[in-house]
Amino acid sequence: MQTDDLIVSLAGDARPVRRLAAPWMRLLSWLVVAVPWMVAVVLIMSPRQDLGDKLNDPRWVLEQAAALATALTAAMAAFCSGVPGRPRWEHVLPLPPFALWVGLLGVGCVQTWLQAGPEGLDFRPDWICFPGIVFVGIGPGVAMVAMLRRGAPLAPVLSTALGALAAAALADFGLRFFHAQDASLMVLVWQVGTVVLLTMLAAMAGPYVVRWRHVAGR
Amino acid sequence: MQAEGTGERLTELMRAALDGDAAAYARLLKEVTPIIRRLAKSRSTGSADAEDMVQDVLLSLHAVRRTYDPARPLMPWLMVIARHRVADFQRRQVRQKRNEVAVDVLPETSSEDRTNISNSAPGDPEELLRAIAGLPPGQRQAVELLKLREMSLKEASAASGMSVAALKVAMHRAMKFLRTVLSH
Repeated sequence: MQTDDLIVSLAGDARPVRRLAAPWMRLLSWLVVAVPWMVAVVLIMSPRQDLGDKLNDPRWVLEQAAALATALTAAMAAFCSGVPGRPRWEHVLPLPPFALWVGLLGVGCVQTWLQAGPEGLDFRPDWICFPGIVFVGIGPGVAMVAMLRRGAPLAPVLSTALGALAAAALADFGLRFFHAQDASLMVLVWQVGTVVLLTMLAAMAGPYVVRWRHVAGR
Repeated sequence: MQAEGTGERLTELMRAALDGDAAAYARLLKEVTPIIRRLAKSRSTGSADAEDMVQDVLLSLHAVRRTYDPARPLMPWLMVIARHRVADFQRRQVRQKRNEVAVDVLPETSSEDRTNISNSAPGDPEELLRAIAGLPPGQRQAVELLKLREMSLKEASAASGMSVAALKVAMHRAMKFLRTVLSH
């Protein structure tokens, strides 16, 4: 086919197009789906007994704030990555809150070490974190994939990694409302570890999840 | 100054195109094609490749035109897509070339006609047509466009509305089905 014929064919397909909303609007739309899902799972699993105490614990609140900020900035970065021509610095938006989150947990580990010695660092298997985060994150994750597919797949690996980080960080935020595990080392290894693992798996699946529409035939 | 004026005109055309103005869209695509072609030629090894890249970029622009924000200038949006698609095209070509072996003369299995009978016999055309008619609609259309009408993948894609990938999959499945049916 000649390029001129292709242009005629594409112009023939011209019709009013519903434009993609601004990334912050898409972030709000995502939260409209993700937050009720998260709240529903927390209620189904029953909120932890000591939730009232935890809400007055500055360290717990700060860690939760960092996890939530990681989720929000990662979602924003994921939506920005699907819009051609936007600045690249937006891709690293979740790095500061993620660093703060890991840093807070790291400081918690050091403080425990200093106060109680190596024996104080309570470390044991806590396998429930993985299915817990997957369960809370599945709704936000599916919504995220559906929304990422509406953007331009310029960087499939990056977009899906950011999207997965958003869903998994939000899931961990929700998990800590019903899973009473606050030891810094445990949270760092089992919860943040799960978030990182899911982000890496999503990044690997990125080229299959987010593709060019005319190539993928959608 | 002139480039700025051109950029603004293209942005205006894109805004009109997004509102469904086919004439503005055709004019926009015609005006950006030489810009895309220049980029493609600077990255390609042959003129046919360059034109394939141009068409690939045009299809991509069309596919993601909803991501354009009318409040922003058009050219940065367009050039990001063009550069990405040209790079994708080059990567695909490198992968394909890695699996190809260039030969001047195709090797013969034997100089004796007798031993090649099974390969060169035309078979029963009626049986083949019946088998094609038995294919699912998508696969039948792929065979008709790609094999009977000898269209390229891009031409068949434009004619059928199916994507190139979907055509390849349909063709692969159709050939598998035909091979099974005709071998019995």
